[in-house]
Parts: sequence; structure tokens; C-alpha cells
Amino acid sequence: MKKKFRSWMSLCLLATLCVSLLSACGSDAKDNEAKDGKVTLKFWTIALQPTFNDYFNGLISEYQKSHPGVTVEWSDYPYDAISNKLLTGIASGNVPDVVNLNTEFANQMASKGALADLGQWMSDDEKKSYFDGIFNSTVFDNKAYALPWYTGTEVLFMNTRLVKQAGLDPTNPPKTRDELNEWSREIKAKTGATGYATTFAARMFPVEGISILNDDKTAAAFNTPATIALIQKMQGLIQEGVLVKEDANFDKQIQYYSSEQTAFEIAGPTFINFIKTSAPDVYKNTIAVPLPTGKADVRLSNTMNVVVPLKSANAEQAAEFAKFLTNATNQTAFAKAANTLPSTKESIKDSFFTENDGTLESEAKVVSAESLDKAVDYMVGVPNAGDVNSAIARQLQEIFMNGKDPQQGLTEAEQEVNQILSQN
Amino acid sequence: MKKWMRTETFAAWAFMAPGLLIVAVFVLWPIVYGLPLSLTDYSVIGETHYVGVDNYVTAFQDKSFLASLWNSMVYVLIVPIIQIISILMAILVNSRIPLIKAFRAAYYIPVVTSMVAVALMWSWLFSSNGVINYALIQLGVIQEQVGWLSSSSTALYVIMFITMWKGLGYYMMLYLAGLQSIPTDLYEASMIDGASRWQTIYRITIPLLRPHILFCTLISLMGAIRVFDEVFVLTNGKGGPGTATLTSSLYIYQKGLVQFNFGYASALGLIVSVIVGILSILVFRLNKKGGVQTY
Repeated sequence: MKKKFRSWMSLCLLATLCVSLLSACGSDAKDNEAKDGKVTLKFWTIALQPTFNDYFNGLISEYQKSHPGVTVEWSDYPYDAISNKLLTGIASGNVPDVVNLNTEFANQMASKGALADLGQWMSDDEKKSYFDGIFNSTVFDNKAYALPWYTGTEVLFMNTRLVKQAGLDPTNPPKTRDELNEWSREIKAKTGATGYATTFAARMFPVEGISILNDDKTAAAFNTPATIALIQKMQGLIQEGVLVKEDANFDKQIQYYSSEQTAFEIAGPTFINFIKTSAPDVYKNTIAVPLPTGKADVRLSNTMNVVVPLKSANAEQAAEFAKFLTNATNQTAFAKAANTLPSTKESIKDSFFTENDGTLESEAKVVSAESLDKAVDYMVGVPNAGDVNSAIARQLQEIFMNGKDPQQGLTEAEQEVNQILSQN
Repeated sequence: MKKWMRTETFAAWAFMAPGLLIVAVFVLWPIVYGLPLSLTDYSVIGETHYVGVDNYVTAFQDKSFLASLWNSMVYVLIVPIIQIISILMAILVNSRIPLIKAFRAAYYIPVVTSMVAVALMWSWLFSSNGVINYALIQLGVIQEQVGWLSSSSTALYVIMFITMWKGLGYYMMLYLAGLQSIPTDLYEASMIDGASRWQTIYRITIPLLRPHILFCTLISLMGAIRVFDEVFVLTNGKGGPGTATLTSSLYIYQKGLVQFNFGYASALGLIVSVIVGILSILVFRLNKKGGVQTY
């Protein structure tokens, strides 16, 4: 009896395994292809559920009413998962139609030929409805591979307690980078706190008007006397205690600012969310002012875009939905709901982005909105942009952290970048 | 039901089948598939081309990969240190004193703590304004703050220390199990013969622990070369400053899952696998026979 039971259990186990393995097989790859004129669009976003369920459900319902025969299926994924999810989707043939990506990843996909040119379905007026710098961040060979969506520009957050302690007037903030550095020296001398923390990465070059690559993106263009001067200046700032001697990522910068080891923080308005609960005293003493620009007179933005994969079965309908999602009316509504900024020029005229109710959030929003006309997303624009960024970042870290000779570091970075570009 | 289905062998295979199939599909097949993949420039999106051994040639000219290999070899230095300390800890906790079980639990807590939590905690302790710098300055060991994780001369060793701190309890428990399998009459006989404590450890404990030492050394070696979590968390996935903490696993991750260069990443993975295989064979060759069964 025991043997019989064991044998039947074994058979059942095998059967269960086979069924579960077979059920894991994917469904028909093109199940969202148009049939009988009905279209199902797969719409993917990053970390927007469940907070904005009401907004998106309303938006999708409105679109479906105005576009009979079109159904929008909305899925949401964590930030870290979206890239892998998209790749596996493309590899398996289960391709989404409209995908929310950041600029870096959108550029990477575009440079590998994975995205549709949305410009073919857009009028000139529609293209010009977005802020130029942000829109052009994902344009290659005159083709628009993404539509800008919600964004945020960098502002200068200031700890007024430390600033006042150093004898400075927070109501008259620094207007230039040199003034910011001078304030940082005063704060270091009188309070012991450092000015600000930053990452040592290639994105510092465009801010100072230094090109990373030449115009046809075939060779490095950053090994110039101007770059050497910039690096030497930054080395001096580190020695003086103006800059933290660390390649500080965003988490580290939050830690430094929250513990008042730094007096300034250069970040988008979402920075406030991190200090509001973890460092309420610091939050109360913080104000937001326009970030002094460098030689290029630009402010870096961090934009979320929407793209249409080239292998989408409904590219034109997907582009139509993408335009609807990112038009001025809907961007204004979403920016109000999510406390972000829109990337459409018309949206900024709304009083929500111009009136300050005295809170830090409102202050940062207004300051950030005022910077949109100078906003540009950082991008390199080649298929192996990641390699290029890594090569430059590593040499910059060697220079700033380990005292490597700036010219030697730049030359080695240039050689490595040229070798990377030669593989394209 | 057929007779062969009623045998214990069939039952055994049936119970093992699900696990074996999972291992075959998710472990063996990717390993086997890695070889043809490494001969292409597969990147999921875009066309795939056969590139022959170009990936391997590029790998040995890739300064960052060579730096990551070097860092991984340096990481192997913690293997003998972990084994020695773990054995000594196991001998210490293998005594019958009050609260010894509490000590054993305390030493094991780092093992079961999430590596992310461990790495974050130690990054705070080792930060420029952290407790470690404060203590060392107060003790007069250093005169000014040291950037432990921001200096290329110390960053890798700090991360190795964290790996060691977290792993000691695990190996300690394995050696403790080995110690408790050693017959006590051998120790009694050695006491009668007048052997000192260290002679007992050297002549009885270590030889009888050889199978455990071999096993722990092997898994520790593979873990050291494949280290990823703590390096990723402490360096934000960059392996900096520069390439100071860039290990081979992290670099393969960057190439494959960040830059989607799967063909090249497969080639790098195979090179590292060969190195691990060679080192493992060396460990087997260097290990002498031992264990309780040899006595």
C-alpha cells in the first residue's frame, strides 16, 4: 500500500511539473496585432502605479472614447526592471507599443535601431510644442525617437542656517558658479561644512561648454586646454573644501546634506521628498534658488520620455497615443498630480508653475520651471554611450580621487573613447 | 501500475526530476549556450553577427577587464584568512562554557543579515566622517580623516574586510560541525601523551578537518572571484574609484545587463570560468588526504 501510494505520488509530481513547465510557455507573440480593425496598445510606465491609478485610468478612458476600436492596456514596472523587461519583450516578440523610458535608455535603444521615428507622424507645430533642449536630447539624424514627458531641472538647495552662520545673506543667493564657490569657501571657513557634493562624471563637460565627441561622433573631443583648466579648478575646489572629495551618488549627497556636512545640494525638486521626513530640521532651513549655470548656460534636466519600439505591431496608433499622453493639456494635469514639471511650453504658462505658496516644494517647482528654457538632458548619442561614459568617469575618478595627472588621465580617456567609437 | 513504477529508484528519480529539470534549464543550458553566444555580438536588439574569437581578443586588450581580473585575484587573498580565523573561532565556540550558544548565534547573525543592509551599514562606518575615522583619530592612529572607500589604495581592501566579516560565521559553523565529528578519545589520548594545546590543534584537529577545509576553501574561492553584492552596493554599481573595486562579476554585469553586450559578456564569463576551474584544480591538488575516516 505504501509503495503504491509513493508511486502514485511520484507520477503526480511528474505530471504537475510537466503542466507547470508547459504553462510557462509564452502566448502568441503578436496577440496585440490589429484584428478586425481593433487595436490593443500595450502601454508601459515606470513606478507610477498605484499612486496615479486614478489619473491614468481617466486618461486611458478618455482616449478610448475618442478612438473607438483602440484599447490601452497599462502595465507598470519598477525603474530597475523596465530595461530588462523591454529587452526580453523584444527578444520574445512580445513587444509593447508605448514605453516610458528615461533619456539615457531611450538614446541607447535608439542608437541600436530599436525605436520608431516618431517624427514621421508629427507636424512641425507638434514638434515645437516641447522645449527645444529637451526634445532634441533624443533626436538623431533629424529623427525624433522619443517624446518628452515629465521632467525636472536642477535647482540649488541651500541650508540657510549654515549660510547665515557664515555671515552670508540667503535672500541674495549666488548668481554664478564662481559666486557659489566663494560662498562655499566662507561656509567652510566659518562652519566647517563643505560646499556641496557631486559625481565625477562626463556630464560635467557639457555644463561648461565642453563637447564630449566631435560633430559626427567619430572621435573624442574633450581633451582640450579648457578641460584641463576645468579639472584643475575642481581639484583646487576639493583641496579648499568647497567640493567633497568623493564620487558621491545621489544617496550619498542626500546623506551629506541631511547631516549638514554640506551646505548646498544641486538636484531636482524630488530631492525634497528625501529630506522632508529623514531630516525635518534641515528641511525647515532649506530654500530653493536658481542654479548658477556654467559657461554653456544650460541646466541639466532629467526627463522621462515615451517611445514606440520599432517592432511594435501598431506603431502609428501607438504614436498617436504617445502624442495624446504628452500633449500640453495632459502634461499640465499630470505635472499637477505628480508634482513634477511638464516638458511642453504651453503648460508652463499655468499659474501652478508660476505662483509660490511659500512652501519649499512650491519654491523648488517655480524655480525649476523657470529653468526649463535652458534645460537639456545629458546624452552622448552613440550605441556604446555607456562605455564612453564609463571610460571618462573612471579617469576623472583617478584624477580627483587618486591624484592622477589631469593631462595623462584625459589622454588615456581620449584613447579609450576613440577605441570604443571605432567599434561602431 | 507497472512493476518498475513501484520501485524506490523510480520514486527517487521522480522526486529529483523537478529540481534536475530546473538546474538543467536555468543553470546547465545557459552555461552550454554561453559558448556559441560568446562568438557573436548579440545584444537582443539589432542584428546579430558571428564575430569568431573577436570578443576574446578584445577581452585581453580591454584594460578594464584586465583590471577586474586583477582585483578578483586580489580578492582571493581573503580565502586563507577566512579559513584560519573561522577554524580558530570554531575551536573557541566548541567549548562548554556558559552562554556559548549565544556567542555562536552572535557570530552567525552577520551571515543571515542582508548584504545590502550590511554594506550600507559599513559604508556609514567607513565614511570620511564615520565612526571608524573618529575612533582612529582619537586613538592617535591617524591624524586626519581617511577616505576608506574613496581611495583606490584602500577601497578594495575595505570591501574584502566586509566580505570576510559577513562570511566568518558561515565557515565557523561548518568547521564547528567538523570539530564535533572528531572523536574525543583522540584528544584524551593526546593529553595523556603530554601534547600541548597547539600541538593538539596542529596534529589532530587540522588533519581531521581536511575534508571540511577543502570544501570551505573551494566555496570561499569561488565566492571571492564571483563577489558582486557588496561591491555593487558600496560603489553604486560602478566599481570605482576608477577601476579600484571593479571585480570580474561586476564588469560582466555592466557589459551584459547594463550595456546589453551579451556576446562580449558571455566571452568574459567563460574566461573567468576557466580561471575558476584552474584554481579549483590547484586547490584539489594541494589538499592532502585527511579526515576522520583516515584514522
